[in-house]
Amino acid sequence: MSATVDLLTTVPPAFVVIAVALVIPFVSDRVGHTIGFVASLGVVPWALALRSSPGDYIQTAFMGFDVVLLNIDAFSVVMAVIFGGFGAVAVAYSYYVDASRIQTAFAVSYVGTSVGAVLVGDWLTLVFFWELMAVTSTLLVWYYGGKAVRAGYRYALLHGAGGSLLMSAVVLNYVQRGAEGFVFTGEGMASGLPAVLAALGIGVNVGFIGLHAWIPDTYPRPGIGASVFLCAFTTKAGVYGLYRAFPDGNVALAYMGAGMTVYGVVYALLQTDMRRLLAYHIQAQVGYMVGGIGMTSALATAGGFAHVFNHILYKGLLFMTAGVLIYRTGENSLKKLGGGLWRRTPVTAGAFAVAALSISGFPGFNGFVSKGMITAAAGKTQRYVVGGQDILWWLMMLGAVGTFMSFVKFGYYAFVKGSYEGKVRDGNIGQKLTVSALAVACFVLGVAPGLLFGILPLSDEWTAHPFTTGHLLEGFTLAALGIAGFYVARGAISRIGVARDVDSVYNPGVFYGTRAVARFTTMAYTAVDSGAVRLAGFCTRAVNQPAETARRLLPEGARETYDERVAKKPGETGTRAGIGETVLMLSLVLAVVMYLFL
Amino acid sequence: MTDALLGVVIALPVIASVVPLVASFWREEIGWYVAVVALVLNAVLIGSVVRSFVSGGILSHEVGGVAVPYGIELALDGLSAPVLVVIAVVSVGTLAYTRTAGPRSNSFYSGYLLLTAGLVGVTVTADVFNLYVFIEITGLGAYALIASGGDGRSAYAALKYLLVGTVGASLYLIGIAYAFVATGTLNMADLSARLADVGYGDTIVLASFAFIIAGLGVKVALFPLHTWQPDAYSASPYGVAGYVSALVSTVAAYALGRVILTVYTPGFLTANPVVSSGLIYFGALSIVAGSVLAVLQTDVRRLLAYSSVSQFGLIVAGFGIGNTASVFGSVVHLFGHAVMKGALFLTAGIIAYRFGVTRLDEYAGVARRVPYAGAAFAVLALSLVGVPPAIGFVGKWYVALGAVRAGETAVAVVIFASTLLTLMYVARLLDRMYYGEAPEAVADGGGGTRVTRGMVALVVLASVAVVALGPSASAVQETLALGEVLGG
Repeated sequence: MSATVDLLTTVPPAFVVIAVALVIPFVSDRVGHTIGFVASLGVVPWALALRSSPGDYIQTAFMGFDVVLLNIDAFSVVMAVIFGGFGAVAVAYSYYVDASRIQTAFAVSYVGTSVGAVLVGDWLTLVFFWELMAVTSTLLVWYYGGKAVRAGYRYALLHGAGGSLLMSAVVLNYVQRGAEGFVFTGEGMASGLPAVLAALGIGVNVGFIGLHAWIPDTYPRPGIGASVFLCAFTTKAGVYGLYRAFPDGNVALAYMGAGMTVYGVVYALLQTDMRRLLAYHIQAQVGYMVGGIGMTSALATAGGFAHVFNHILYKGLLFMTAGVLIYRTGENSLKKLGGGLWRRTPVTAGAFAVAALSISGFPGFNGFVSKGMITAAAGKTQRYVVGGQDILWWLMMLGAVGTFMSFVKFGYYAFVKGSYEGKVRDGNIGQKLTVSALAVACFVLGVAPGLLFGILPLSDEWTAHPFTTGHLLEGFTLAALGIAGFYVARGAISRIGVARDVDSVYNPGVFYGTRAVARFTTMAYTAVDSGAVRLAGFCTRAVNQPAETARRLLPEGARETYDERVAKKPGETGTRAGIGETVLMLSLVLAVVMYLFL
Repeated sequence: MTDALLGVVIALPVIASVVPLVASFWREEIGWYVAVVALVLNAVLIGSVVRSFVSGGILSHEVGGVAVPYGIELALDGLSAPVLVVIAVVSVGTLAYTRTAGPRSNSFYSGYLLLTAGLVGVTVTADVFNLYVFIEITGLGAYALIASGGDGRSAYAALKYLLVGTVGASLYLIGIAYAFVATGTLNMADLSARLADVGYGDTIVLASFAFIIAGLGVKVALFPLHTWQPDAYSASPYGVAGYVSALVSTVAAYALGRVILTVYTPGFLTANPVVSSGLIYFGALSIVAGSVLAVLQTDVRRLLAYSSVSQFGLIVAGFGIGNTASVFGSVVHLFGHAVMKGALFLTAGIIAYRFGVTRLDEYAGVARRVPYAGAAFAVLALSLVGVPPAIGFVGKWYVALGAVRAGETAVAVVIFASTLLTLMYVARLLDRMYYGEAPEAVADGGGGTRVTRGMVALVVLASVAVVALGPSASAVQETLALGEVLGG
């Protein structure tokens, strides 16, 4: 047993995945995708095998600070399992939507850095992998070219800013905590400024309202294979980071999470671009997870992690089915898709139905279980009450109804209403296999949630009973309200069309802001420049002709003495000390030292 | 068993240094071969003692079986092991360079071997008087080598170094005499215990420390006691400049660190804040003054020499701060600086031998004509600036880290500022080398000495090493166990 543990903890799994990613560009597409698949999948048994022996492994020093390159606990394991497992499915899917090996190499390195981020045991390496995730995912977006480049640039800027905020939080936390260094202590960020900075920095990754615009901006733009990767890792690593920073929860976080569920859903309802719609749902669903982390309850925290796990499965599946439709029709917009596709693409339609029911939290599918854990905690704790009502619970319910409406809309326009002109085939065999695998997983975890409960954290501090009558009733009611809501509001939804989001304010804001800064800088520069040129001119002369410059700086009377000295002495300035002067200097130094010390 | 080798690694070059002189009676130019055999063998022996330190911890040997504190003790610990390794490596490397570049006389190699023996002796001795003896042996070897340039300038430089260096060594001797009067012992470990008994605030203890600092300050070439160094480096043959610049000040700085940390101990520094800040600001002054003077130079060798003044200021500041991080930084920088500075001089030699140029303005465009040596020069110089991940960065980083941990933020700022100053003179040099217009007049072979592929390969190897050693440097921190040296 311990020999196995020793073997598995010789090197962090992330290093292996990243090493494989570096090899992928140099082999064929088929071999590249195969080794990427195997490496990513390998993380699953690797992490599971270590789950029973938690602790800090591979402790070393980086630039004089103690760091832990492999930290095994229930939280890191559940993240590594879903990241590795989903990464493998996404690599397989990429192969069947004709992704090039270069793109997949970026994607696998993104998987590797994400696995790295959730498996380290200290803030310093966490930030290191955090930034690497931003870099690799940006490259993944950029690789597609075209409009993705500018979106990728905005993405990179925002994540750079977020990473810096997190870095400053980590440094301040280090300053406050001192002796503990950077290693996780289970206490989270020190309260005050470090906590606020950490929340904002991580808030970029999880898509806090106001910091979220990059999600719908970026995720629809690159290749369909790339979107599948993007939807899974960055935001969920953010949820994980949030837990590390706030292990005991935080009321403001709980409300932010609940707010995100409603905000994301409202915007999602108004979208027509399939992947943009799905991207807003990421914000909404991550809202549940943020709420789970924010609430101070073991059930909520476990629910948050369960939702991370389930969400990656069904959201990945949604992006994959949307990807198949785009792959076959070339259309991104629901309006142009034509509809009525369920007859022609039955497997895709079926998989979509499973995923939609999962995300909406319909009983029998995995989202029902994990979302239920979070909403039950919100209702049970009775701590988030405003005006006699469980405000958190109500917001989350509102978000859930909206989710139903939104996916009824998606399904209705894509697969039911109207009929598509021309020929459309269902996904190819590989696409069918990968989407089916995820669909089966969503369904199995929906009917047998015990499978997931087994690897969730804090498992001895909570119990969940997903299939109570009340809870089931809640699920069916939400579904009914969702369908009814869509029926009533569909006219209004299609009339309002694409809404303006916060980025329509801050994109121009940043643009004009930077232009103003540039103007100001230019003017200031011009003013400083002439002075600097004069100074530089002087320095250049001084450096090129030190002797002459020194001579000119001397008072009139001393120049003659100086000239004599230069003539007599070696060296160009006549300042080079001879032997006697050096010994004199030595005596002076000794005298000064003696005077100081005694 | 291996601890007895500590004596052998000193004795071997001493004995070998006699051979070329005796051999002169029947054969010229045999010295190089003797030196190669002796120093390669010595490097192997050094390798084996260092290995036994790595596996078994601190080594100690009583010379001739006379028990300490009366006998002389030789020792090897985390502070001395890296210095010993760099002596072994640089002595063989520079020797390879002098194969063609010369000087080739037998007496030169006698001096070279004697100098090496002195360097090794300073590094492994655990006795303060014995340390003085080896410092003098090092000095004698160095005076002889510097004078081997054979013209008036080198004679003057050697004489200057001889006089100033001897005065410095004498001050050191006075310092240990005071310590001896106070305690009655010369063994380092014994001395440190008894100095504590006498009391760190005692006048005689403080006076002895003041003499030692001033005396060794000359040997390290700290500002303003550095004046012998630019002359010595610029007047001697390039092979000598490479060897001397790499190791002589290095072991002097090591000796200073040894005396501060092992004999007087960090406890002494804590008890006398003025001493500790005195050391730190002495170092900081050297950092700034050395860099500024380097910027003002027009001769490449003098520029490199002043840069050493600055780098040794950093090392002394690290010893003065006296915590594990800063001392580790100083040790890394001792090692790194030796390789970088030695190789920079050897590369400057290659350029001088090819084109006969020594001044900054004459360097215009040379990098394009000697691409490999030019690239090596650039890499070494940038490592000197402290560009990560090269080893020059690691040393500076740890000293700065130690300074911050000790609350000496001002020193960290000085280190950062000196990086900019270093960049200034390095950038000027590289700009000239790569983008300057090469004048027609400078033709190949202007220096009159052949440049072999081996010489170029040597400096390229050194430049690869400074980059490759950087990332692995932090890994040896635990092996060195500097906490033990500092008495933790």
